[in-house]
Amino acid sequence: MKKLLSAPALFAGAGICLIAGLLLAFWWAPADASSMGFSQKIFYYHAPIAEVALLAFGVAFAAAIAYLRTQNLKWDRLGLVSIRIGLLFSILVMLTGMIWGKAAWDAWWAWEPRLTTFLLVCFLYAAYWVLRSVVDEDQRRATYAAVFAIIAFIDVPITFFATRFLPEGLHPVVIQAGDSGMESSMLVSFLISMLGMTLLLVALIRRDLEIEELKDRVTDLKTSLGG
Amino acid sequence: MTGWAQFKAILRKDLIRELRTRDMLVSMILFVLLAMVIFHYAFSVKAGADLTYFTGGMLWVTFIFAMLLGLNRSFAQEKDEHCLDGLLLCPVDRVTIFLAKTAGNLIFLLIIQAVAVPVFTLFFIERSYFGDLLPFFIVLLLADVGICALGTLLATISMNTRSRDLLLPILLLPLIVPVLIAATGATTLIFAEGAGLGELLTRILFLLGFDAVFLVAAWGTYDFAIGE
Repeated sequence: MKKLLSAPALFAGAGICLIAGLLLAFWWAPADASSMGFSQKIFYYHAPIAEVALLAFGVAFAAAIAYLRTQNLKWDRLGLVSIRIGLLFSILVMLTGMIWGKAAWDAWWAWEPRLTTFLLVCFLYAAYWVLRSVVDEDQRRATYAAVFAIIAFIDVPITFFATRFLPEGLHPVVIQAGDSGMESSMLVSFLISMLGMTLLLVALIRRDLEIEELKDRVTDLKTSLGG
Repeated sequence: MTGWAQFKAILRKDLIRELRTRDMLVSMILFVLLAMVIFHYAFSVKAGADLTYFTGGMLWVTFIFAMLLGLNRSFAQEKDEHCLDGLLLCPVDRVTIFLAKTAGNLIFLLIIQAVAVPVFTLFFIERSYFGDLLPFFIVLLLADVGICALGTLLATISMNTRSRDLLLPILLLPLIVPVLIAATGATTLIFAEGAGLGELLTRILFLLGFDAVFLVAAWGTYDFAIGE
């Protein structure tokens, strides 16, 4: 079991699911009947990336609460790693969203609720990074970062809700409550991609955590050697 | 001393200190007035161009930037004169410090708005919105509370970092975008078309929810933000 959850095994699982999801999306799932047509294929990657980015920030939120309760730096490392990967995924969401936007609306950028929310998410978590870089002491940096990660995560759904006050958006609502709105072949392809992307997130978090732990150990060794 | 007495004492200290020197209030008011003049020149591209639908945005951008100045200033003094160390040595609940600081910042913002809003109306608003003053004040107050609560929490964090006042806008601005969206929309509707409580209800409830969520969140985390 432990071996199955090691970073290399997770990477392999993620790779298999992502490739399988892509093959199924192109060869099994039918082209979308709506006006989106072929460009809808990007949905099999775009939406899983978006959901995984939010999942990563959720992990960071939980880690921040755990850190504030325990003052154990291992939770700070988990938060740091999750936010780094979440930020990377958010940038990918914007890039894939822009590609879709160009195909669907013939515009690279639209001030549309979801796209705008992700843009703000990028700014928020980039600010997290700036905050970390200007505090020298370990415990204090971890505490401030945790406070900010909590506030930022609470702000994300509120921002999304607030963008509803702006004039009408363009983003298609694909999955609605009660009705998945997709054929079963589309749904299966989508869920496989989703699983692959989630596995990729877990694998990346695991590997990055190991790297951060090693970094901390090197720093400790250096200090104990008087360097 | 009870919590309420401590709250009043800290708030009183902040108000007296500001009223003795007046350096923060005077600069903030001058900044707000200057910003309006700058907006006028920045947007004067064509004779008779209609600025009506930009007025809410102009007003809130001005207030938010003025607040950034004020927040940095209020904590810089605390830090430089080691006042905060003294405050932390007192047997005072950290949450009381947060609430008193937030209330102080809110009062300063309201004083500035009391000067700025009439001047802004004189400069930019052609329609009379006298009948919509009640929803206008509600929106103003609710948005101010949200900005001050988050601003106080984040100013406390940023003053303890190496870059100090440089950090605050980067942390605060993305977080208060929801307030900006709701408040700008509501004030623009009041200025441009005249909107009653009914029309603005969802925005007002949204601002109320925002304030409640972040007051609780700041309440829960301020202990950690202010440090030992």
